[in-house]
Amino acid sequence: MAFEAKFMEMGAEDVLRCAQDHKARGWRFVQLLCTNTEDGIDVQYTYMKDETIENWTVKSVKKGESIPSITDYFLAAFVFENESHDLFGIDIQGIAIDFQGRFYDVSVPEPMTVISPAQKAAREKAAKLAAAKAAKEKADAAPAADAELEAKLAGMDPEKAAKVRAAMEAKAKKAAAAQEQAAPSADAELEAKLAGMDPEKAAKVRAAMEAKKAREAAKAAPEGKGE
Amino acid sequence: MSTFKLGKMTLGGLFKKPETIQYPVQHRFAPEGRKGHITVDIDTCILCGVCMKKCPTGAIEVDKKAGVWSIDHFRCIQCGYCHRECPKDCLTMDPALPTVAGQKHRETFEKPAKEAAAEA
Amino acid sequence: MGKATVIPFGPQHPVLPEPLHLDLVVEDEKVVEAIPQIGFVHRGLEKLVETRDYNQFVYVVERICGICAFGHSMGYAETVESLMGIEIPDRAKMLRVIWHELSRVHSHILWMGLAADAFGFESLFMHCWRLRERVLDLFEATTGGRVIFSVVKVGGVVRDIDDDQLKRFVDVLEGIKDEYRQICDVFLTDRSVKNRTVGVGVISHDDALALSMVGPFVRASGVKQDVRLLRKAGYDMLDGFETITASDGDCYARAKVRALEVLQSIDIIEEMIRKLVPGEIAVAVKGNPADGAEACNVLEQPRGECYYYARGNGSKNLERMRIRTPTSQNLAGMTTALAGCDLADVNMIVLTIDPCISCTER
Repeated sequence: MAFEAKFMEMGAEDVLRCAQDHKARGWRFVQLLCTNTEDGIDVQYTYMKDETIENWTVKSVKKGESIPSITDYFLAAFVFENESHDLFGIDIQGIAIDFQGRFYDVSVPEPMTVISPAQKAAREKAAKLAAAKAAKEKADAAPAADAELEAKLAGMDPEKAAKVRAAMEAKAKKAAAAQEQAAPSADAELEAKLAGMDPEKAAKVRAAMEAKKAREAAKAAPEGKGE
Repeated sequence: MSTFKLGKMTLGGLFKKPETIQYPVQHRFAPEGRKGHITVDIDTCILCGVCMKKCPTGAIEVDKKAGVWSIDHFRCIQCGYCHRECPKDCLTMDPALPTVAGQKHRETFEKPAKEAAAEA
Repeated sequence: MGKATVIPFGPQHPVLPEPLHLDLVVEDEKVVEAIPQIGFVHRGLEKLVETRDYNQFVYVVERICGICAFGHSMGYAETVESLMGIEIPDRAKMLRVIWHELSRVHSHILWMGLAADAFGFESLFMHCWRLRERVLDLFEATTGGRVIFSVVKVGGVVRDIDDDQLKRFVDVLEGIKDEYRQICDVFLTDRSVKNRTVGVGVISHDDALALSMVGPFVRASGVKQDVRLLRKAGYDMLDGFETITASDGDCYARAKVRALEVLQSIDIIEEMIRKLVPGEIAVAVKGNPADGAEACNVLEQPRGECYYYARGNGSKNLERMRIRTPTSQNLAGMTTALAGCDLADVNMIVLTIDPCISCTER
C-alpha cells in the first residue's frame, strides 16, 4: 500500500487534546468506530493527512464511563458519535447535534453489544480450545527447563549440587502441588532463580518463603505448618 | 430561448428503434456467463455438503441419507460460491433468469435409489 | 421577518433516490436550518460478520448499496488481503481497477440523470439512463451481473476478460463517450440549468476543510483531495492524472466536476486496457486472520473516500468489519449547505452531495 497506517492507543482523557492537536496541524478527521470486546468497548478515532493514517484507540470503555465529544473541532463527527451511542451504548458528552438516542431509533437497545446464545457457545468453545492448547504448550516447555538446570548442576560444586538438587526435588513436589491449585507461575520463577543463586542466600530466601506459606496456610486452613 | 439543444437526440429518437423491448413476449439476448440460476448434475453429485456449508444465504440443502439435493431459487443470490467450491464440478450457473412465481418453493433433485445405496 | 415553520422533507420524496428525512426550519421560503434524520434502511450488516466467514462476507458487503457495490467488495477484499498479508497478482489488480472505474462512470451518469430530474429536466434524465443501459450491458457481458457483480473474492477476481471482449469494451466505451459529450454539453451550457444551479448551496474552501468533506463534493470547493492520488493497488500502474477541481463551491461546480470525471474515467479505463498484463487472476487463500490483527484501507468511490477497517480474532469470522462511507461524512456539509437557501433549491442541494443513504446506515 502506498499509504502508511499506524495504530496507537490513548486514554479517554486524551481524546480532546488529540483532536485539537490534529486539527491545529491540519489533519483531516476520517471516522470514529467502536468494537465490542469482552473487556468493554474499544473506541477508535482516525485522522489522515496526505499519506499517513493514524488510528488512535481508547481501549475498554466500560458502562458508565463517558467520553467527551470532538464536534467542537470536527463537526462531521456528530454522525458517528450518535451512531456509537445508539448501537453500542457509549455515553458521549456534548455532541453538537445530539439526537439523544433517536438517530437510528433501533428496536433493540445497543444491538451491537448483544451476543446471541449460539455466538456465546461458539466463543466459549473457542476459549476452551485455546486454554487447552496453552496448557499443552506449557507442559511441553517444562521438561526443556529441567534439562537446562541439570546441565548447570553438572557444572557446579558437588556439595552445592547436592543441596540444590534436594531443593529442586522439594521444588518439583511443591510445583506439582501448586499446579493442581492453578497458581504455579510465580513460585516456579522464584524457585528457578533460587536454584541459580548462592546456597546460603537460597536457604535464607527459602526459609522466608516457607514462613510466608505457613502464614497463608494458617489463614486459609485451621492446621498450622509450624517452622 | 437558447437553441433546442437536445433536439437532434430527441428527433433522432423518433426514427430509431426503441430502446425497450416487449418483455415477457420478447427476451433479451443472454450473454454467456450471465448469472441466472444454479442447476446441479445429480448423477455426478456425491452429496458431500460443501455447497451447503459455503452458501452465504443457506439456499442449498443436502441430505446425504435420503440422497436429496435441493435449492431455494428465491433465496439464492447467484453469487457463484457453490459453483466454484464444488469438488466434483457438478454445479453450473445457467444464464436463464429465474421466472416469477406466486409462491416460493424449493427445487429438489433426487439421486436414483440404487445409486444412493451404492454411495452410502 | 417571518414566523418559523418546520416542513418535513422525506423520507418518501420523488426526488430522493434513498430515504432521508430533513426537518427544514423555514422562514418565508428561506430555509434557516436543516436537521437530517436517517435510519430508515438500517439493516445491521456489520453484525453479520459474526455469522458469515470472511469469504462469504464479500457478498454481504456488496449488497450494502447498489451503485457502490463493486467499490465495497473491492475495498473489503483489499482490507482482508492486507490483514492476512496476501499479495494478489497484477492482472487481478488491473481488472479490479477497470471495473471500479466503469462503476464510477455508471454512478456519475446515473447521478446526472437524477440531478436533471431534481429540477424537472426529465428528458435529459431519460437520455442519461438510456446511456447507462449501455454501461450495464458492458458489465453483464464481462461479469455476469448488471448491478451486483459478485466478481471479487479475497485473493483476486473470479473471472477474466479475454481479448475480443476487451476490444468490444473499447468500442462501446468510445460510443458512450461521444453521446455523453452531447449530453454533458446540454447540461452544462443550458441557460435554464445555469439559473437553477449557479450560486446555489455555496460552500467555501475553508468551510469544506473544516467540515471534513470528501469526494466530488469537496473537490468542487477547490480542495485537491483524491485517494486515487495515493497510487496504490492498481492505480500505481497508471501514468498519473490530474484531479479535477472547481473553485466556486456551488451546485454547478459539483455537476461540472462529476461530468468531467466521467470522461477522465473512460480515459483511465482505456489506458488500463492497453497496459493489461497477462497472468493469474487469483491466489489461493488459506488460514484465518491472526488474533488481534488490525488493518485499514481507503478507496476512492464515486461518492468520495471510503474507509475500511478489519480486525481478526483467530477464527474464520472477523471480529469487526467497519465501513465508513463517504455520505456519512458529507452529512455535516449538506446541513451547512442547506442553511440559507430557498425552499425550492433543497432538492438540488440534497442531490448534489450524491446521497447514498443505504451506504451510510448499513
